Amino acid sequence: MLNTRDLEKRWLRYKIKFYIPHFTIFISVIVISVVILTFFNSDKKETKELPQKVNKIPIETQTDKEVTIKTPKVALIKESIEVKTIDYKETPVASPKIQEKEPSNTEDNSLKLAPSLDFMKSMQHSTLPYYNEEPAIAHEKVSVIVEEVQELEPVEVIQAEVFKDEIKQISIKRRDSSNDIRDIIKRFKKNNNPALSLFVAKKYYELGEYHKAYNYALITNQIDRDIDASWIIFAKSLVKLNQKTMAIETLKQHIDNSHSSSAKILLDEIVSGKFK
Amino acid sequence: MSSSIYVNSKNVFLDTVNSKDYVQLDRVSTIYQALKDSIKKPLKMILLYGKPGTGKSMFLSKLYNDLSSSQEVHIYKTPILDESEFYKTLAQDIFTTKYNGELNFTQFMKIVDSVSLDSIPVVLLDEAQLYSDVLMEKIRLLSDTRTIKFVITLHKTEEEDLIAKEHFQTRIWESIELENASTTELKIYIQKKLMKANCFDTANMFTNKSVHKIFKLTNGNYRDTNKLLYTLFDIYTAYDENHQLSSIGTTHVPDKLIEMSAIHTGLINA
Repeated sequence: MLNTRDLEKRWLRYKIKFYIPHFTIFISVIVISVVILTFFNSDKKETKELPQKVNKIPIETQTDKEVTIKTPKVALIKESIEVKTIDYKETPVASPKIQEKEPSNTEDNSLKLAPSLDFMKSMQHSTLPYYNEEPAIAHEKVSVIVEEVQELEPVEVIQAEVFKDEIKQISIKRRDSSNDIRDIIKRFKKNNNPALSLFVAKKYYELGEYHKAYNYALITNQIDRDIDASWIIFAKSLVKLNQKTMAIETLKQHIDNSHSSSAKILLDEIVSGKFK
Repeated sequence: MSSSIYVNSKNVFLDTVNSKDYVQLDRVSTIYQALKDSIKKPLKMILLYGKPGTGKSMFLSKLYNDLSSSQEVHIYKTPILDESEFYKTLAQDIFTTKYNGELNFTQFMKIVDSVSLDSIPVVLLDEAQLYSDVLMEKIRLLSDTRTIKFVITLHKTEEEDLIAKEHFQTRIWESIELENASTTELKIYIQKKLMKANCFDTANMFTNKSVHKIFKLTNGNYRDTNKLLYTLFDIYTAYDENHQLSSIGTTHVPDKLIEMSAIHTGLINA
């Protein structure tokens, strides 16, 4: 009779032997496929990362541009919010300390809606060691610049003096805006960047402080005579200051030099009386 | 199923050449009929060749049984290698001439010429590849006289193709090749063999899957199949005697048992 136990053992050994190559092939196939997959995945990641890195450079440069370009937009948005909120009638020169505190409250109220101008503050901090003067002094320096302008163009200076009382009466609706303007003025004093003075001019114009807007537009024009927007603000401020004829003459001169279409449109609007 | 069924089934596959165990398969039947028809023709020599275990000996045995009743047939299952002994055996069996001492080809031819026979006797020589070339040449000369008709079986091996030899190529008028069974033929072969011995239950245990497994191991070779199935039923008998049949099942032949049989018979080198 056959020894079935021994035969079963031999059969088991045979099966193990039989499946070992299959098992090793299976395992090796899995290992190879995993290696290949990981290899290809890593390749894909690298290829994906490369364009991102390349794109990063333009993005950064764009953000830099946004800082300079978008600031007026931010200010505009803020202004639109400001109109809806509290209407202060205080001069920025009179109570600078309060200006620092109260905007925080308003910022809290409109935190969700208003874009942050923190980058301005950070820039302010960086300039603080160089400019430790109080806001009042800064204001004095603004007037110095105005005086310098007066020396250059006497007619305009007279006009500025005519509206001196009105300047005192003009109030900034939002103190945070005035703070921003002060910060920008500080920066402007440091680097004489016409973009900053133009921004201040626009900001003052939007706030209804046409005299200041006029002055800063004039300063901008002196630094760089080719900035179309500055001339337009200058002319608009003149119109608002009831100097329509002067605005028209200035615009005409500017159009002769630059052939600006936007200046032409504004001139037409002023002449026709659409812009008052 | 009792153990006697497994014992009976085992005995069915005993490796013996018995014409009674001959299994009628379609292809084999056609070949067999062709062989029978060839014997009736005035051919000098008929060659039956194939690989070992393809049923050549069984064919020859079956032919002997079928022809012996109608004509004079002599079968030599084991080759007579000595030349003198070969002639003496033929002289005694065919011509009923007992010869003492050495008998050479010339003396034998004298006996052939002296005795006149009513019909041409048929001599069946199995395992003819074992005969020497000289003796095979004498057999050819003898067949040329048309006094004796020879049917010889040969192993067709890869190393030595005996049919290519000159004395077979030029003298043989009819050659029939036997091949291994196909899967279908193997299933019929197994089941017919078992059913012949009234082992119907064990015959039903061979499904297509199990037959396919057997075919893979034996390549359709009848001898290997017989050996494998003999061992298989031997294992079944052992399990039955140890009361372990429930562990292997009796509805079909599991692959495990077929593989175990193959290991035991050496078809699998474990």
